[in-house]
Amino acid sequence: MDTTVYRPVDLPPASSARALTKVYGRGAAAVHALDGVDVDFAAGAFTAIMGPSGSGKSTLMHVLAGLDQATSGTARLGDTEITALGDDALTRLRRDRVGFVFQSFNLLPMFTAEQNILLPLELAGAPVDREWFDTLVETLGLGQRLTHRPSELSGGQQQRVAIARALIARPDVVFADEPTGNLDSRSGAEVLSFLRRSVRELGRTIIMVTHDPTAAAYADRVVMLADGRIAGDIDDPTPESVLMGLDALRALDQPVVR
Amino acid sequence: MLRLTLAQMRRSLGRLSAAAVAIAIGAAFLAATLIAGGVITRTGYDAVTAQYARADVVVSGGVLTPAERRAIHDQPTVAFADPLAPPSLEIRHGRTRLQMVLPVPSDPRLGTLTVAHGTAPRTPNEIALPPATASALGIDVGDTVEAREPSGQLADLVVVGITDDPRHAWSQFGGAGLVTPGAVQQLGLDDPAEVADTYLVAAAAGVTPTELRDSLSPLIDSATVMTRDEAASAKISEMSNGDDFLLASVLGFAAVALLVAALVIANTFQVLVAQRAHTLALLRCVGATKGQLRRSVLLEAAILGFGSALVGLVAGTVLAQTALAALNRAEVDAPLPSMVQITPAVVLVPLLVGTLVTVLSALVPAREATRVAPVAALRPVDAPAVRALAGRVRLAISLLFVAGGAGLLVLAALMANRVPGSANYLLGVGMLGGAVSFLGVLLGAVFWVPRIVALVGRALASTGTSAKLAAANTVRNPRRTAATSTALLIGVTLVVMMSTGAASARTTMSRELDDHYPVDLLVDQAFGDGTQAIDVTGVRQALGRVDGVRKVVFLREVVVNSDNGSLPLVGGDREDIAAVLRGDAPVAGLADDTILVPASAKDLHLTGDVKVRAETRAADGGTGPDGPSVEVHAVGSDLGGYQAIVTNATFDRIAPDAPVSSVWVSLDPDADPGEVLQDVRSALPDGTLEVVSAAAQRVSDARFVDTMLGIVIGLLAVAVVIALIGVANTLSLSVLERRRESATLRAIGLSRRQLRWMLAVEGMLIAGVGALLGAGLGLLYGWAGSAVIFGSLEEVVLSVPWRDLLLVMLVALVAGLLASVLPGRTAARTSPVAALAVD
Repeated sequence: MDTTVYRPVDLPPASSARALTKVYGRGAAAVHALDGVDVDFAAGAFTAIMGPSGSGKSTLMHVLAGLDQATSGTARLGDTEITALGDDALTRLRRDRVGFVFQSFNLLPMFTAEQNILLPLELAGAPVDREWFDTLVETLGLGQRLTHRPSELSGGQQQRVAIARALIARPDVVFADEPTGNLDSRSGAEVLSFLRRSVRELGRTIIMVTHDPTAAAYADRVVMLADGRIAGDIDDPTPESVLMGLDALRALDQPVVR
Repeated sequence: MLRLTLAQMRRSLGRLSAAAVAIAIGAAFLAATLIAGGVITRTGYDAVTAQYARADVVVSGGVLTPAERRAIHDQPTVAFADPLAPPSLEIRHGRTRLQMVLPVPSDPRLGTLTVAHGTAPRTPNEIALPPATASALGIDVGDTVEAREPSGQLADLVVVGITDDPRHAWSQFGGAGLVTPGAVQQLGLDDPAEVADTYLVAAAAGVTPTELRDSLSPLIDSATVMTRDEAASAKISEMSNGDDFLLASVLGFAAVALLVAALVIANTFQVLVAQRAHTLALLRCVGATKGQLRRSVLLEAAILGFGSALVGLVAGTVLAQTALAALNRAEVDAPLPSMVQITPAVVLVPLLVGTLVTVLSALVPAREATRVAPVAALRPVDAPAVRALAGRVRLAISLLFVAGGAGLLVLAALMANRVPGSANYLLGVGMLGGAVSFLGVLLGAVFWVPRIVALVGRALASTGTSAKLAAANTVRNPRRTAATSTALLIGVTLVVMMSTGAASARTTMSRELDDHYPVDLLVDQAFGDGTQAIDVTGVRQALGRVDGVRKVVFLREVVVNSDNGSLPLVGGDREDIAAVLRGDAPVAGLADDTILVPASAKDLHLTGDVKVRAETRAADGGTGPDGPSVEVHAVGSDLGGYQAIVTNATFDRIAPDAPVSSVWVSLDPDADPGEVLQDVRSALPDGTLEVVSAAAQRVSDARFVDTMLGIVIGLLAVAVVIALIGVANTLSLSVLERRRESATLRAIGLSRRQLRWMLAVEGMLIAGVGALLGAGLGLLYGWAGSAVIFGSLEEVVLSVPWRDLLLVMLVALVAGLLASVLPGRTAARTSPVAALAVD
């Protein structure tokens, strides 16, 4: 196994946005969820997107992952301009090049852990790379759980199955949406370590949306979002530096005295 | 609580719609049936009162003695009295038609017919015919027709008029003609006075019907004296027993439809309760009692049931009225009312039954609602948990019913072969057994249907990811899948049962005909024992003119006596006989000096060398001394009919003087046997020849069976349609339930088409398994039923109606596919973003 520690040096970005806007509603009721976002996410890196509720962080992820359409601007996945793709092409792109980890795990209850992990390959009709599967199962500590159904797994185990599912097709980017939101702090820490290991040891690219500074501190870099705009960027974050960043955001965001 | 119930209903409107449609269809069926029953009764009433014409008093219920008849005619209160016993005549004019005729009444008050055109008959040589018969036989006023009492002598009658039946008194008999009472006598028909069980009496001037009745009552013991109105209502209550039976059977089909609807409703409410678990728990948290929750669910069911039943009632009434209007426009020859009659029963029964069925179906889900623990409100909402299979009690009851019912059914089928004459009783036992075992099968459906669905699903799973997902989805909620499949299974079982029964009936009846008649069509003398000479040249010429006749063979026939008994014997050319017999008949054993013995003569035990002697006819028509004793070699065979066969040479030795007396005819395979029969009858030279056509009988038997089958399947189709709505319902509920799951699948790369296909496979799997199981069960029940019904007649032939089975499967699969269209669209519209939503 290749255990080289990957570093984001001079590689083209795995995902990027240029002048990205997303407007919900129209006229007076229009809400600018994204308001001209320019951002690059390096390949082989673990990046967290942070921001208060309503900052547009989830919308940014949806558009970058090809789940939602942008109003204007471009979003790219590697070389592909996904803002120009139709539904079928987007579906294929998600199937082959993107992985997802959801807050509520979203495993299929009628399938076993193994079947859930292999589902993306099955949808694509792609052969199973057993070596990669074993690597993932071992890294995520799922060896004993493969024949269990989701209802027989703890939250942390379910989320690890979900991570394996997101990684099985070796996607260009894995998007994780509040992956620890439904977990206790111990399981949460475990899941975050796994995410970091899959970047450092397995060379994956992960973009994680979170509002938890402790979770964000596991990332290589934190991108701050406020009112649909990029509002900060912290490399090699620690919980303290993230908290400071957030405080700064609040000061910037809410000058009005409460 | 009412406001809360209503608010919840509003939120679940879409989810309730399928259940509403199911109930509405059931209620509409019920309403239309009741209305149709009313129309039938009223039509019958009108016809009966029409038959009584304007008589003041009707004496009915028994044949009067000559003394009583005289007494009636001698009463001063009586002006006229006529017996009502219309005889039938065979009218011949090119073709032949059986026609009911009435004697010309002694007073217009006692007559129902008018003469539309021409005059009423005045002499015994005259007749007036109804327009239908006149046009069928191509007759107009002035023509002469031959008429006879069906087994009597022919007489020529002049057609002097065309009758009209303004009140449709005789429509159901194809109209009626008029002859003079003298003609009745001359044609050798029974004297109506001696056979009539009804007498129409007109009162003398100034006598009221009641007075007339009271004056006649003491004179008559053999019958009842009633005024016309009393007699009509008495007759109706007697007739309506038959109508009630008809109505009851159609209502039975309505009950099946409602049972299927009940399954659809129970499914809907189960899902609703599961989806509202969170809300229900919250209500319990803030202080709602279990009783309140239960009442809320039941109230919702009652509102839904009543509303849908109301819609169904209106739809059923409109449907019945439309059908009636169409029938009236088509000028059906019956006194149909122009408007349907809305009785309280027509309104109340569908409303009550619809509401009741809905509430009853919601009972179990209502109990589930009370089981939601208040603490559930504090937990995150998960997809409704997969429910455990039902308990052991249910399994035990189900097995008991299946075993007991099947036992009764088998018993009835076995007895049917052994105990003749107990047919009705055994049919009852068989039906009970069938119903009980089917109930057991339905009760146990939750145990075995999901297993079979899983099995079939596993086989399908290899065909692709969508199919694999679908297969896994169908077994997630075994109870719901079972209920949905079962709803379809009920209708399909009944349809296939009827179809199998009909196929068995067709085959059994056809085989019975084969046993009786070795050829398609047979001509011989109408009187005597079949050995009387026929006019060979005339018959040959006549048959030569008929299209569809393939081969005609003239045979000599004689009755022969053997030591073991006597049987008819025909002699002819071996090749000719081989060519005219139906199918691959066994003429192989036929050679000179052998006698081919039919299967029906097995009891005579004619084998090996036997001696036979021909009966001869004495000059006075009696039996003469036997002919010479001839030794022949007897060969047993499975030949149909009653005649043994020998070659011409052998026949010459047995009965050299016997004339040609029998004609065997085979028909072209693509000719219509009924038409050929008609043509042969018209072509034959005179009325002394009898024509029997097994082929025509077979066709008309088959047509009768098919017509009955068509009606029954039409009625059952309603249940099948409701079941298919149930499939669509289950799929769309699943789609709503699995919203986030669908979104997840979309997010990780399932295309819209694959998602739709997944639901299509689910729909086809549920429907297909229901249809498959229903077809299997229907086949078994159809066989069992045929064994019980036809077992007493002959050995039953168990047929498999492959074409119908294939059709049922195809319909089920296509319907399953169609049922998935709307849910599939809803599911495909789900944005993958929904997968990320927390709730």
